[in-house]
Amino acid sequence: MADSVEASDAVHDRDEHHERSRWPVIGAAGAAALYVGVALVFVSESVPMVPTALGLAVAVAGTVGLVVGLLGWTDEAFLDGYLARGVTDYPTDDANRIKYRATMVVFLATDLATFAAGFVYYFFVRAGTWPPAELPHLLTSLVAVNTLVLLASSVTLHYAHHALHEGERRRFETLLGVTLLAGVLFVAGQAYEYFTFVVEEGFTLTDGVFASAFYGLTGLHGLHVSLGVVLLGLLAVRARRGHFGPERDTAVVTVSLYWHFVDAVWVFLVVVLYVGASV
Amino acid sequence: MASGQLVLTVLMGVFLVGVAAFLSRVEDWRSYTPLASGGGGGYGEAGAHVHREKPAGITRWLTTVDHKDIGILYGTYGVIAFAVGGLMAFLIRLQLVAPTGAVVGNEFYNAILTSHGITMLFLFGTPIIAAFSNYFIPLLIGADDMAFPRINAIAFWLLPPGALLIWAGFFLPGMSGAQTAWTMYTPLSVEQTNVGVDLMLLGLHLTGVSATMGAINFIATIFTERDDDVTWANLDIFSWTILTQSALILFAFPLLGSAIVMLLLDRNLATTFYAVGEGGGPMLWQHLFWFFGHPEVYILVLPPMGLVSYILPRFSGRKLFGFKFVVYSTLAIGVLSFGVWAHHMFTTGIDPRLRASFMAVSLAIAIPSAVKTFNWITTMWNGKVRLTTPMLFCIGFISNFILGGVTGVFLASVPVDQVLHDTYYVVGHFHYIVMGAIGFAIFAGVYFWFPIFTGRMYQRTLGKWHFWLSMIGTNVTFFAMLFLGYLGMPRRYATYDFNSAIAPLDMVTLMHQAASAGAILLLIGQLIFVWNILQSWLEAPKLEDADPWDLKETDQHGREFQWHERRTATALADGGEEEEAVTDGGEVVDDDADDTSDD
Repeated sequence: MADSVEASDAVHDRDEHHERSRWPVIGAAGAAALYVGVALVFVSESVPMVPTALGLAVAVAGTVGLVVGLLGWTDEAFLDGYLARGVTDYPTDDANRIKYRATMVVFLATDLATFAAGFVYYFFVRAGTWPPAELPHLLTSLVAVNTLVLLASSVTLHYAHHALHEGERRRFETLLGVTLLAGVLFVAGQAYEYFTFVVEEGFTLTDGVFASAFYGLTGLHGLHVSLGVVLLGLLAVRARRGHFGPERDTAVVTVSLYWHFVDAVWVFLVVVLYVGASV
Repeated sequence: MASGQLVLTVLMGVFLVGVAAFLSRVEDWRSYTPLASGGGGGYGEAGAHVHREKPAGITRWLTTVDHKDIGILYGTYGVIAFAVGGLMAFLIRLQLVAPTGAVVGNEFYNAILTSHGITMLFLFGTPIIAAFSNYFIPLLIGADDMAFPRINAIAFWLLPPGALLIWAGFFLPGMSGAQTAWTMYTPLSVEQTNVGVDLMLLGLHLTGVSATMGAINFIATIFTERDDDVTWANLDIFSWTILTQSALILFAFPLLGSAIVMLLLDRNLATTFYAVGEGGGPMLWQHLFWFFGHPEVYILVLPPMGLVSYILPRFSGRKLFGFKFVVYSTLAIGVLSFGVWAHHMFTTGIDPRLRASFMAVSLAIAIPSAVKTFNWITTMWNGKVRLTTPMLFCIGFISNFILGGVTGVFLASVPVDQVLHDTYYVVGHFHYIVMGAIGFAIFAGVYFWFPIFTGRMYQRTLGKWHFWLSMIGTNVTFFAMLFLGYLGMPRRYATYDFNSAIAPLDMVTLMHQAASAGAILLLIGQLIFVWNILQSWLEAPKLEDADPWDLKETDQHGREFQWHERRTATALADGGEEEEAVTDGGEVVDDDADDTSDD
């Protein structure tokens, strides 16, 4: 169901005055429980009465609530009740395409600010005595391969979109699948890098100035890639079910924007954090 | 200490009972509006009708995605936060009537000082502005609703848990409210072992997420949902200021969010983001915090400026003088606001060349601010000024804004700031803005649009009382603070029983008492305000006239009052049947229209 009454009036007879939805409050309650759970974990550090497990349990329950809320909302607002009713009858041309694309760009601007704080910290310490301590072995073949994989995934996603425009559905689905695979590979590579650092080199989050920057920035980026993989997965599932067409590509466009952004952040991150720390 | 907590507990208790009583009659409360009236004249069927459309009582409010409902939720939330933050402020003023501290212990004082600031800025300021923008932006730009009604709803519902987390330290056993001051400077905020700090930081993060979602939504709405005949050239001034404010939020709040997460990691996972010596140190926090914090000032003040620019001409009988330049100055302030943050750090020993450049940009902000001020004054000049309550608050806004602004110009210059930094002069300066200007514009908005919110009129005499008590109270309290600053009284202190060789203690005490006397006037004024709003909402006679301010006479009947007129006419004509009010664009706008969705 499109969020805009105007747009939906154009394509539906049904009255679409959506003045009611239970999903926002469910999602918000989930988010609140997530934060409360984290708070309880902090509380458990000083109040023995509160077990840490309770905090974690509340946080997990909150995350589930948040995801349920977001899924219900996505279904209601953007998939026209597909999950609930199993039919797709949404508009053949996306009246809201510009709106969604602009909104994604605006969101990415906020994301830029989110990353900026971490980079500012890194620049602060990088400008001081360097290296602050012995650095881990940063420039490995793993990073090079991972970077290539992520860059390639942006290219495949771009051509997937192209294929969709030209009506070549099979090629679209294949390229989308390749992109998804590349995303999964990248996340796996990052996990493996963390594993070698933590277990083999003994370089952990608490290992001083560089560790804070390294785990803070790669961790934030890793979360973004993971979310991107989830989004690509949703795209892939919807592509299999024929939700997209040459004129019906809004979700493809917005996820692409997100994915290219995450890719660009990675390139910047490699240059300043991996290379910048070593030279 | 104990007595102070007792006082606060009792106050909170009374307050919560009030909230409970209020919620229990929410349904009735809403049905006093003309469309939902249960009785009287032509509205006979409307009550039953509306109850069928929207679920009764609390469910209706939990599941609503109607921008007007959400605006009212934001407003209610903002007023509650204003009451909590105001009572904290009153306790602060009570404490400071005696040099040794009158009522509460030092630690509790620190906690309410911190929470007062956080509450007023994050839980009152931003949400109360969102109340107006949610209710009126879609009406002013001819949209059916916000671009993303559900994002709108979730952004609101993140706020109550955020507030509870922020205040949690006060009422949970084994912890106390954070004592970091609202600036949360490191290393103090890293080293304080109180878990209340963690809870407050989590709550702040949640409210920041909420504010960011709201900002994205407003930008999308104003860009993509405008009616065909609302162009950039004739977009109203309030929408312009909300657009600029939202753009500031986009960069300011996420950055604060990351800074807060880093602080939480430092506190709980032994990272070194703000570690003294090796890590980013206290200066990193100050840079990040004020890169958010100074734009936050404009996030809070630009929409109130928009409210004044919107309301003031309507009681001056003239169009806003130099409309374009008011828009340009809004945009200029928006851009400049990101280049002034280090003026909060003049005394930290940063490079003098940096100081000079930040001083230059900070002084430059005086120019667009003065453009606005002169435009407001020239709008009234030779105008047919009508001193209604909203107009009085607009004029009060200008007066207080000039005082707050001029003291800001002094503080922006490095040599003066070296002397006055961290004194009550600073406190007086920014309270002239946040209470004297922002608060006044909010009141102006509430009174001006009260007929739209409620279909009724507030009690004019009480409105005037509210204004004069607020105006005198503000100036007594905060002018005394400027004096205290000149006397060298440092801010944040719980007691000031210092050696009178340092400063004339008698004079300092007298000024503190004057400030507290002003606070009493302010408190009485706000009690009158709440009483006036609630009683008028519940019991005032319904307003038959859809143009209560006679705006048509001067051709200033804005889109929101046009909408109100259609709504009123519809309600009178056929008892509130759905889907008949039609905008210029031909879309259905009736707020109580049918909802046959599948959920």
